[in-house]
Amino acid sequence: MKASSKEEEEKVEFEEGEIEYVSYGGEHHLPLIMNLVDQELSEPYSIFTYRYFVYLWPQLSFLAFHKGKCVGTVVCKMGEHRNTYRGYIAMLVVIKPYRGRGIATELVTRSIKMMMESGCEEVTLEAEVTNKGALALYGRLGFIRAKRLFHYYLNGVDAFRLKLLFPRQEVHIEASHGNNDLDST
Amino acid sequence: MADKAVSEEASMEGHAPKLASIPASDNTVWADATPLLEAACQGLTDGELIHGDNFNLFAAMSALEIMDPKMDSGIVCRYYSIDEAIENGVAPIPISLDSTVDVQCTIDIMDHLLACEAAWHTGHSLAQTVFSCIYLLRLDRTASHALLHSYCRVTRATCKAVVSVVSDARTHEEEDLFTMTYGLPLNGDGDEKCLSMLNTVEETISRQLRVCKAASSKRSSVDLEPLQSNPNLEEGFCKALLCRLRFRKRPQGRGLELARKHIASCISELESILNSAEFLRSCSAESCEDDIEDKTTASGREPIGFDATLNSRLSAPTPPRAIKILSWKKAIQYFLKLLRHLDVICSYSLDPNLESLLHFVVQFQKSQPDLVSRAHLQLLLVQDGKLYGRDPIFTVITKASALPEAAKNHDIQKNEYIVQLGQLVMNLLKILCTNAAWQRRKLGKILQDWRVIYVQLELAFRNEFGEASSSSNDENIRMKIFQHILVWVEEQTYWIAFRFLMLGFELELYSASEYCMVYWYLYAVLIKLAEKTHLKIAVSHDTAKRKGKKRKDSPKELARESRIPPVVLFLQCYICLAEGLTMMLAALRNEIMVLQSPSPFNTEQEKFIQHFELLQRACIPDHVSYPSFKESTTHARFSTLAMYNYFKDAQRIAKEVKSSFSNDPDRLAELRRLEQVAEHNSVALNLICRLGALDPSLKVSFEFSHHPFFATAVVRRS
Ligand SMILES: CC(C)(COP(=O)(O)OP(=O)(O)OC[C@H]1O[C@@H](n2cnc3c(N)ncnc32)[C@H](O)[C@@H]1OP(=O)(O)O)[C@@H](O)C(=O)NCCC(=O)NCCS
Repeated sequence: MKASSKEEEEKVEFEEGEIEYVSYGGEHHLPLIMNLVDQELSEPYSIFTYRYFVYLWPQLSFLAFHKGKCVGTVVCKMGEHRNTYRGYIAMLVVIKPYRGRGIATELVTRSIKMMMESGCEEVTLEAEVTNKGALALYGRLGFIRAKRLFHYYLNGVDAFRLKLLFPRQEVHIEASHGNNDLDST
Repeated sequence: MADKAVSEEASMEGHAPKLASIPASDNTVWADATPLLEAACQGLTDGELIHGDNFNLFAAMSALEIMDPKMDSGIVCRYYSIDEAIENGVAPIPISLDSTVDVQCTIDIMDHLLACEAAWHTGHSLAQTVFSCIYLLRLDRTASHALLHSYCRVTRATCKAVVSVVSDARTHEEEDLFTMTYGLPLNGDGDEKCLSMLNTVEETISRQLRVCKAASSKRSSVDLEPLQSNPNLEEGFCKALLCRLRFRKRPQGRGLELARKHIASCISELESILNSAEFLRSCSAESCEDDIEDKTTASGREPIGFDATLNSRLSAPTPPRAIKILSWKKAIQYFLKLLRHLDVICSYSLDPNLESLLHFVVQFQKSQPDLVSRAHLQLLLVQDGKLYGRDPIFTVITKASALPEAAKNHDIQKNEYIVQLGQLVMNLLKILCTNAAWQRRKLGKILQDWRVIYVQLELAFRNEFGEASSSSNDENIRMKIFQHILVWVEEQTYWIAFRFLMLGFELELYSASEYCMVYWYLYAVLIKLAEKTHLKIAVSHDTAKRKGKKRKDSPKELARESRIPPVVLFLQCYICLAEGLTMMLAALRNEIMVLQSPSPFNTEQEKFIQHFELLQRACIPDHVSYPSFKESTTHARFSTLAMYNYFKDAQRIAKEVKSSFSNDPDRLAELRRLEQVAEHNSVALNLICRLGALDPSLKVSFEFSHHPFFATAVVRRS
């Protein structure tokens, strides 16, 4: 996912406890997600892309609200990929005034927990090599940089394929949903 | 939601006059789809989608929202077609009726084309760069303008030649965008004549230059029309044009020597082009000094006759990408770099020795060559299934395995595994010419192939010679060949593993908390590499000795053999550094509790498995696993490190072995770097040993200031 750069905005005063996290709850959440992602990520997504994710895996997408305002979101999927059942984090955004307070970490953690409980063996995503914030965040969650993808974003910037491998246990594989053409190299 | 927006905007766009330029054909008519779309919208509620079974994520991602400028590459920006643009006077011929302005504009077009070409080489599509030039898209129109025509033609021919080199070298997706020429008029008739056209134009202009020089020294002028009407500017324009034209020239003939001469002259023309900027800028009134660095022309003016949006439809269905054409200065820097890289390739001695070749390619890659020069290198190395199109691959293998010259004709080369091995070698060479990111992934994958071929060769060898050794002479030779090749295959496999681990540093795939395991694994691979290299040398000495049976083992000869060969010592220096870093990092983790990274979902073991999965799968090396890593590092303590300092060893070896490489500047430089790393780390280690565990304010970090993959410890007080 490619982040677009804008100037830092004023921080907002708030208590961690004031942030409310909810799982994707239906069509009324869609414009909130689209609005956030359109603002912060430069790659354009069609409405089909958003619906593809949130309709098939509503339980993996979360939104963060502060006093009724949507301030962050994460959108994911999971499925069979070359004989492994893997989760994929497609989009993650927290708006600027709310950054640096653990909101993204909480959002992603919720998604990853759901993936783990659903029998995923690993979780992957792509991040721009220059996106220090995202790389640090995922590094702390146990992701490694598995590969570098040359000129991934066509603007000349490379990406890292990040991967989180869960420890081996008895794996319960559920019926997989959908297809997996996005996260294959 | 957006579905409705589509129908509204579609109906708004329905004004007829513009549509006329895309005429209905025999089987098609234009129809208003608004009512149909409206009906469809009414039948659906928000979030519903009519789709086929194959509507997957890829389809969803490639779907477009029509008239969204971020997505719809078919959206009309200015003109529907090239013809419409031309009718509107976007690319006039002549460019101006004022001959001075016409020349100026021609130079701008040349410069912008060069910038476009560089942008194409560095990762944009041909359609949105070079072929944003309307003159190039309709080359025949320019026939009356000899200067523009010849330059456009030679540019097009160059693009075509470069596309062909890159597609011949094609190994992966990096080239796909580069070679995508769908719908572009890349294949014009008569491009083979472009060089003679260019020569004619060049001759005319150099005569004009001579005439104007003669005229200024008051000698009689010949009846030659000047380039343009302002006599004060004639010389400057002639010169500016000549270097631009000469840069595009190509000599008759073949061969690396000629190529180097040509490269040298191209470099000097580029320098002249660069020098012409001052004159060109002084003639253009409108230029503003401050942002000249971003301009795509020497004069700083906008070029005439370019429109990148005309072609953007060719790139459908991907969303339109904003293209940033390189600045003119950056473009020249790019071409200078390209030419220097090509010169390095052409000056290579075509050494039949694989080891030197691998060394050369690795060195070359350090200068971060771009796609075009890497493609040229690959084509030079592998042609018609032979090395340099010259040496049969089995000859290369026997040489690499340190077999006697005669072995290269042996029948054994028909053995199916030997044939396969030959293919692996070719494949390896191609992979080593690709960009570092792709290269590493491929190297990881082929490790398995190298392992498998080793096992198969060994099996074949054992089947053939399992019983007591035979006495027939030919069988002895067969056995010898097998033995040598087996040792070399192992050595080569570890070399690949070494390079795989190395590239991880270059690509920044390791984080500081992972360095310990990476150096530990590197150490394990290096031990094996050194062992196999040593064995290969020993086996070859053995063979050589048996061949010259008569010669007595002189004391000198014996001394030479018992000494560790310099290449092995070189590797030992690496080994000491890798082991030293492993132990220092482990002690830091064990004693000061730094560089650990507890994570909520997994442990260090999972990271180990992920990083070394491909090596582990190919058993490289055997018996290496996470538990063995833990075992060898959990007891690391500064007290023991203080007594046994691996960095001191590394330093000593580096010093000793230097004299053996006195005529190998690359290795000498590398040894100097290793020495520095060893020295710094040795000092840092002493400091930490003395204070570390007691002093909580001590901060240790690792930097790659002396070597690209051996880190230097930096100790600071916070
Ligand atoms: C990346 C992003 C989602 C982080 O949101 P956030 O709510 O600020 O993240 P958190 O507060 O949970 O950060 C957790 C950790 O990540 C790291 N981190 C986050 N932002 C960082 C930054 N700008 N620089 C360095 N580290 C950063 C830190 O280690 C931080 O822990 P710490 O605050 O205890 O030091 C947010 O910056 C964003 O929306 N960026 C634009 C979109 C984007 O890049 N998305 C990711 C695409 S892969």
